[in-house]
Amino acid sequence: MKRLITLTVNDREVEIAVEPNMTLTDLIRYELGLTGTKKGCETGDCGACTVIMDGLPVNSCLVLAVQANGRTIETIEGLETGAGLHPVQDAFVEHGAIQCGFCSPGMILSAKHLLDKNPRPDEGEIRAAISGNLCRCTGYQKIIDAIKSV
Amino acid sequence: MLLPKFDFHEPTSLGEACEIMATYGAKAKVIAGGTDLMVNMKKKILAPEHLVCLGRIDSMHAIEEKNGQVVIGGRYTVAELTVDSLVEKKLSALRSGARALGSPLVRNRATIAGNIGSARPAADLPPSLIAYGATAVLQSSKGEREVALNEFFKGPGFTEIDVNEILTEVRVPIPGDGQGAGYINLGVRKAQDCNVVNVASFIALDEKDGRIKQARIVMGSVGPTPLRAKSAEAVLIGEKPDEALFLKAGEAARQDCTPIDDFRGAASYRKAMVGILTKRTLEIAHRVAAGA
Repeated sequence: MKRLITLTVNDREVEIAVEPNMTLTDLIRYELGLTGTKKGCETGDCGACTVIMDGLPVNSCLVLAVQANGRTIETIEGLETGAGLHPVQDAFVEHGAIQCGFCSPGMILSAKHLLDKNPRPDEGEIRAAISGNLCRCTGYQKIIDAIKSV
Repeated sequence: MLLPKFDFHEPTSLGEACEIMATYGAKAKVIAGGTDLMVNMKKKILAPEHLVCLGRIDSMHAIEEKNGQVVIGGRYTVAELTVDSLVEKKLSALRSGARALGSPLVRNRATIAGNIGSARPAADLPPSLIAYGATAVLQSSKGEREVALNEFFKGPGFTEIDVNEILTEVRVPIPGDGQGAGYINLGVRKAQDCNVVNVASFIALDEKDGRIKQARIVMGSVGPTPLRAKSAEAVLIGEKPDEALFLKAGEAARQDCTPIDDFRGAASYRKAMVGILTKRTLEIAHRVAAGA
């Protein structure tokens, strides 16, 4: 039986009825049409599904939509404003840190969260912060350079 | 991946949660972070008919120092353990375990009760908790009981927790002066890795002559549950701590474990590494014990 939940997604309030066995990833992608959040492994290993929930980056594939009731969610779509791309997104573009782009939303959100807490991270801190986000294309170096440059 | 269907319960108090578990017991599973359970459900290994979410129960989310123990609510996340000042100052081996677990994303959801309850042989928190002599509080509608973590694990995925019980609290005795612990885990990667071997050691030094009066060495990933290296512990008792002694203890620890060959490593490799990690964690424990 569906449950009515209310949550804030990218500063917009959303009220929706969901089945208990729907994941937050599916809610975001299929009910809200925000397909920036990706499905990779679906078991919490790749980080492609990363969103920021109540200020913390999490694997949305391991969160039930009903568990997100009353919470605040930021997806990659929330980073861009009327004024343009977020500085982290800009840096990724400038440094060639995006190849296929599949890891990028999750990677950028993890990076943003790091920089919000620690504006001048060293390489070790950057690598640790993105250790939950796997990239098959870039070999990570340009991603690290991009994050350092912000 | 689709999840099986289930009825979802979201109690706002422990009492309510216990009542639900009493009603549905064997057909229910508790969920908090879900970092282990959700994976099992997606892989169709588990399909509970009822999920009892503990996410709204605030009493399970506290941490405090009480009666010479650090009392940690079951829902306290692994990420929180990595930054908590009580854990950093008094339970450094637990902090090491927490920092090694999964990834930052997983740590933001994973809980201490979950890492204990899922009873994975390679889990990062149980070895140091057992080394510290920690206990777990299990609550049900019939009351509560406290079980030493040393006697808690029955096999991979199996613990003392009965079908209608909830692990609500972990109590860790605070090491006093002359006591300390260390934890090291060995894996192929620095994150998101299943441990090949992990070891936690705890020693207590006699105040007068500085000899080791108590020792607990706990080995993970080398048996169906975390194992105590009893012969290694026996080597240490009554002796003065030094590198040669720790080397000897490491050698002894190899006999105490029963690793298997798997794609992560051969049993012989794991045994060898148990020896090394025992020595190194004893050195850490000694540094903490001497510095305290």
